[in-house]
Amino acid sequence: MKELALIIEDDEDLASIFAEALRGIGYEVEQVADGRVAQERLQNGIPPFLILLDMHLPHVSGPDLLTNIIKKDERLSKTMVIITTADARMGDTYGDLVDFVMIKPISFVQLRDLTARLKPKE
Amino acid sequence: MKYLNPILNVPTTDPDDARRRRLLNILLLGTLVAAMIGLVSIVINIILNPEVSQSETQILLVGITVFTLGIFGIYLVNRRFSGRLAALLFLFLLTAIFSFTDTPEELSNGRSLFLFTIPIAMSSLILLPQASFLFAALSSGIVAWLAFTIDHSVNLFGPIGFFILALVSWLSARSLEAALKDLRAINMDLDRVVAERTQALAESLDRERIEAGRNRAILNSIADGVIVFDTKWNATLANPAVRSMLDFPLELIIDKNFSEIIEHPKLATKSRALLYAMMEHDTQPVGFRVEWGGKTLSVSAAQVDSRHENIGTVTVFRDFTREAEVEKLKSTFVAIVSHELRTPLSAILGYAEMFKESVYGPMNEKQVNLAERIMKNTQRLLGLINDLLDQAQMEAGKLTIQMAPVKPADLLESLHSVMDKTASDKGLRLTSEIDDNFPEAFNGDAARLQQILVNLVNNAVKFTDQGSVHVKLFYPSQYKWGIEVSDTGRGIPESEISYIFDTFRQVEGTATRVHGGFGLGLSIVKQLVTLMSGEIKVQSKLEEGTAFIITLPLVPAEAAQSNRRSP
Repeated sequence: MKELALIIEDDEDLASIFAEALRGIGYEVEQVADGRVAQERLQNGIPPFLILLDMHLPHVSGPDLLTNIIKKDERLSKTMVIITTADARMGDTYGDLVDFVMIKPISFVQLRDLTARLKPKE
Repeated sequence: MKYLNPILNVPTTDPDDARRRRLLNILLLGTLVAAMIGLVSIVINIILNPEVSQSETQILLVGITVFTLGIFGIYLVNRRFSGRLAALLFLFLLTAIFSFTDTPEELSNGRSLFLFTIPIAMSSLILLPQASFLFAALSSGIVAWLAFTIDHSVNLFGPIGFFILALVSWLSARSLEAALKDLRAINMDLDRVVAERTQALAESLDRERIEAGRNRAILNSIADGVIVFDTKWNATLANPAVRSMLDFPLELIIDKNFSEIIEHPKLATKSRALLYAMMEHDTQPVGFRVEWGGKTLSVSAAQVDSRHENIGTVTVFRDFTREAEVEKLKSTFVAIVSHELRTPLSAILGYAEMFKESVYGPMNEKQVNLAERIMKNTQRLLGLINDLLDQAQMEAGKLTIQMAPVKPADLLESLHSVMDKTASDKGLRLTSEIDDNFPEAFNGDAARLQQILVNLVNNAVKFTDQGSVHVKLFYPSQYKWGIEVSDTGRGIPESEISYIFDTFRQVEGTATRVHGGFGLGLSIVKQLVTLMSGEIKVQSKLEEGTAFIITLPLVPAEAAQSNRRSP
């Protein structure tokens, strides 16, 4: 079974690049472009193996999703989180709560290699 | 004397004439008093000795009365008409009276001869110096005539004595007049000098008043608020602009201490602290901003020195509200534009990388090369936008330093991860070292320190064609640490060194075009170092290399354990 990666990113192009990188190394990818939709998805759907979380999202912000949903939901306790942000300050502030911080612009290769390492060995 | 003066004074402008006539008045007054005393004593004598001859007493009374009236008449002539005439009449009167005061024997050759000397001596003083000879002659004539009436021979010693006295009187009166004349000349000179000086003083006072008035008018018409403080920071002068600028009645500012003025409720707390610091440390800031009642004011202060002595401080408040708004708009604009530019550029970068990585099927060498060029140019553009954003934030004062524990080894590690490829692409080695005794961790802003290192190394790589770039973290003392980035590049000409930290030097400077450019990178480094209370120095030798040396205060970190992991 493929690991599920949830990409929460409002920029269509970046989302598709991230998706391509993850699919290329065997993730199953799901994309959400809105904070509120992401909140519902996280509360109701299958817990993903990995979340790529943008910090600037419409309706519900990345920090809100991180602190109020992801960190509080028992079902998501094993989910790995990578935050993606253009703002290095965000990385400093929330870095301790997540597994990785990636500062935009994010290299396709870097993301691909990192997420490949995270996948459990078969 | 106060009551006598109006009686004694005469209406004349000639000082010699006035002196003589005044003297005559005194003599007339004295004579009058003597006559009065004589009159009173005769009356008393009549009362006490009724048996005294009536006719003799009557003659005496009539004589004295006539004499008194005569004296009074002469006084009137002296006051109203002519001093000379009055003096002549008085002297004649005296001579005439003396001619009858004694027997002809005594007068011509006896005890009363001396009486004639009185008018002789007087005449030189109250009439003319040479008039004494006239009265000597007159007296000699009278004496001769009196001797003749009683068939005596003339006693020649009398007239000779008269003429000797006349000579002495004439000489002394003449020298007295000469001395007085000299004195008057000196006095007149003195008066003239005093008048000239007074005039000059009055003119200079006038000029000063006009000057002061003009300066005051200039001060009053300045749109900036100006307050002058003495050395104890008490306000001594303020112009009307202060009223609207600080919302403070002008008359209340004068004599107030600066610390009272800045207790104004409309002054923002943070701004008050800045102004306190300015006062307490006697600094002379230029154009720092304070928020005062919805306005942004730019404050400058300068000490006023007069003859090498500090006499106070002049502070200037300029309304900076509009400029501050424009600046804020500008930085917001830059921030939005940067963000909006950055997002599509990130996408371009990502897509180009996907091409390069042959995500959608194999690529030939030329295609990969093309993708790499797209990536490289996009990264350059991104770098420039990041710099612009930082610059805008710094100008808006929004960029702050956030302290957290930093490990020096982490700094270098992440520097290598970012810059190794850039250096090796150009055939350069990027090496680094840390001083042996360097603390394992300290407090700092890792992201901004990283930015400093990347900018400096980037700059070094750009200007080095062969050799290496070396980064060293050094620890010169307990309270300091530093970064040294040195290269083996072409160096910076001495004339350029003072400009390399200027903002947009790359865009505007003519010299830098030849060299390929110092851009915002170094300017940002300098500003960041300043924000961190550090300093930056440059050492450069043409064709040998350049070293940037940064010294920063060391803030020890107790718990330097960071949970942050980085990819």
